Amino acid sequence: MSLAEQLKKDFSTVTLTLIPVAIVLNMVIGQLASAVKLPVFLDSIGTILVAILAGPWAGLLTGVMTNLIWGLISSPVAAAFAPVAGVIGLVAGLCARAGLFNAWWKAIIAGALIGIAASFTAVPIRVYMFGGITGSGADFITAYLLKTGSDLFGAVIITVMSANVPDKIASALLAWGIVRALPERFRFRFPRAEKIAIASR
Amino acid sequence: MARVVSRSIMPRHPSLALAGKGIAFRLNPVTKLTLVGCALLLAFLIPGWWPPWLLFTALAGFAQINRLLTALAKKLLKIILPLAFFLFFIHGLFYHQASAPLTLAGVDLSREGLLFALQMTGRISAALAASLLFVLTTPTADLMLALSQRGTPAAITYIIGATLQLIPQLQARAAAIGDAQRARGMETDGSLLRRIRALLPLVLPLVLGSLVDVEERAIALEARAFRVKGPKSSLHELPDPQSERLLCRLALILTLATIVVVWWG
Repeated sequence: MSLAEQLKKDFSTVTLTLIPVAIVLNMVIGQLASAVKLPVFLDSIGTILVAILAGPWAGLLTGVMTNLIWGLISSPVAAAFAPVAGVIGLVAGLCARAGLFNAWWKAIIAGALIGIAASFTAVPIRVYMFGGITGSGADFITAYLLKTGSDLFGAVIITVMSANVPDKIASALLAWGIVRALPERFRFRFPRAEKIAIASR
Repeated sequence: MARVVSRSIMPRHPSLALAGKGIAFRLNPVTKLTLVGCALLLAFLIPGWWPPWLLFTALAGFAQINRLLTALAKKLLKIILPLAFFLFFIHGLFYHQASAPLTLAGVDLSREGLLFALQMTGRISAALAASLLFVLTTPTADLMLALSQRGTPAAITYIIGATLQLIPQLQARAAAIGDAQRARGMETDGSLLRRIRALLPLVLPLVLGSLVDVEERAIALEARAFRVKGPKSSLHELPDPQSERLLCRLALILTLATIVVVWWG
């Protein structure tokens, strides 16, 4: 199947109506997680969900749009990290295509891969646009690593990864659980459903 | 539901836009987006510590003309203060330095580090000021309308519009689920393990409940020929004067010329 055909199949009308819901789920679950003071963000579950159900391209679009809209209604800083959110969707979709959302322990691997990819996208933005700073307590880790001799790039990647990898593992596990809990009739409305359906039985 | 995007039908969206009469409110959103893009390029691609601050001053002046300076300052300071604190703290103390340190009250500070922090704070402030001026003066409904008038695919404007409408709905649903679970005795504080366990009975009903409507909305869209190609007429038209298109082109050319001159001149 050519890319154009695949895209047409991925972006069906159901995918299109799923994406806004997924974006809002990203935002609302993220707010819930910070309301109960969890040490993880959990703000990309919707993106991973779309990536599993409708493929990497739909996942990429969901991630990018989440941060752009968040930038519009909350803080423009979020928009600067739209590429990171896009990469999360893209990598999650590729993991799903490779069958990594077929079992809970595979979902952990997928989460780690997503977290590493997200970190490597986030670091150049952090370093070149924000001088390596997040404006939160995590910056003390960066300070400590700089003091012990790391360069800024190395210090920031360790700081970013230590926050992102556990977060994406938790998100991938939750997304896996949600996809399993979906009614089969509903799941099969989506273009990439065959990939997960067999294994979840 | 998919509907003609217009100000009269649009419910209260979450939006940062204020009401006002200044020039910043009257420009076409696409014009403003282009100008924000120019400001971002200038802020991040011009070397030196003072150019971003010059740009920032110009943007603050523009905000003042539109009576937006207080609103802008409030939003900006909330974001920039923690960033600036850590920028000066980390780079002032730990920057890799070539010259002799600057000793202040017995603490060795790095000259280069402080200049770097000053430059980054300026860059972020200028970029934030430009983006905030955009969001403070652009109602989301206008943005969507302007984007579709300029030929942005309907799928994109649908995603923006539907998301903005869904946010209050899903927040209300999340609050209702939270109330229901608390009424059953769920605890939302305590140890980490207990808080993780508290999240699941909140998240699963929220996700599954909100996905139920997805299929229905897709059928509604298809029944209204959402996928049909070609231009669609809108109840409201946004002014998109030739003069503003010229302004955009001029701003882009000047920005790129400045960058080229600074780097290779």
